[in-house]
Amino acid sequence: MTGNDIVDIELAAAESNWKRKGFIEKIFTSAEQQYITDAITPDKMVWKLWSMKESAYKIYTRQFGGYFFAPQKFSCIMLNETSGMVIISTQLYYTITITNEKYIYSIASTDKSTGEMLLHGCFILPVMDLLKQQQYIYEKIINRYALLTAKEKKKILVWKNESGVPFLYEQGNKSKTPVSITHHGSYAAFCI
Amino acid sequence: MTNEELIEKLKLIVKPYVKNDEGFKNMDENTDFLNDLKINSANLVDVILDVENEFDIIIDNESMEKMLNVKAAMEIITTKLSENDRQ
Repeated sequence: MTGNDIVDIELAAAESNWKRKGFIEKIFTSAEQQYITDAITPDKMVWKLWSMKESAYKIYTRQFGGYFFAPQKFSCIMLNETSGMVIISTQLYYTITITNEKYIYSIASTDKSTGEMLLHGCFILPVMDLLKQQQYIYEKIINRYALLTAKEKKKILVWKNESGVPFLYEQGNKSKTPVSITHHGSYAAFCI
Repeated sequence: MTNEELIEKLKLIVKPYVKNDEGFKNMDENTDFLNDLKINSANLVDVILDVENEFDIIIDNESMEKMLNVKAAMEIITTKLSENDRQ
């Protein structure tokens, strides 16, 4: 199972002042605060750790349900620049984070290798309102999934369950496929 | 403080972070910060810090965990304020 989270660096800088009093302490464990202090670019480390936590939260709530805000409970360990682990209670998730000048993108997985991932994509969103962006993302996912599985686009649907967790449904087929979707500012990504 | 006054104060606090004006117009006890107001989750920390400053209370991690909607926020603020009064 996978979860993902993307941070638009420019938008994050405009939306959040992580240097404000109390901000870091509410989100990060003392070990994570040390990662930030030691980082060459603390801004990027803040959002890297944040996206790791968010991507792990998405898997955790898919597995166990729930809706809560406890960023400190998701404890991050960096193995190197890109790989890490997130631990919450007895669960361990493996993460890969892509960092560039535009965005920071984390994928968390229950498996050590992300090889079990069927499909994933990351793309720039056209400027439009949030609802239209959501439709645009859904279309992208459906197109890619249909292409890969040689299924009819018309019969595939992205739907969120009552907890707001998205799945791919196929007409005439009772099974559903979990899909993790993330968007922030100009960027969006999905993994199946 | 009445519930109405409390909601008005909360509205002023969340306003800068709201991404869905329609949800904000209809904001009441049943409003969810993330789903209805489309506040991004990093800004939820700002909401929590602003609530702490405005009401002069400390929101511990256990309370923060539940602070995802107006109703929970109101309960937490009311509880913390009454704890302050007792001290």
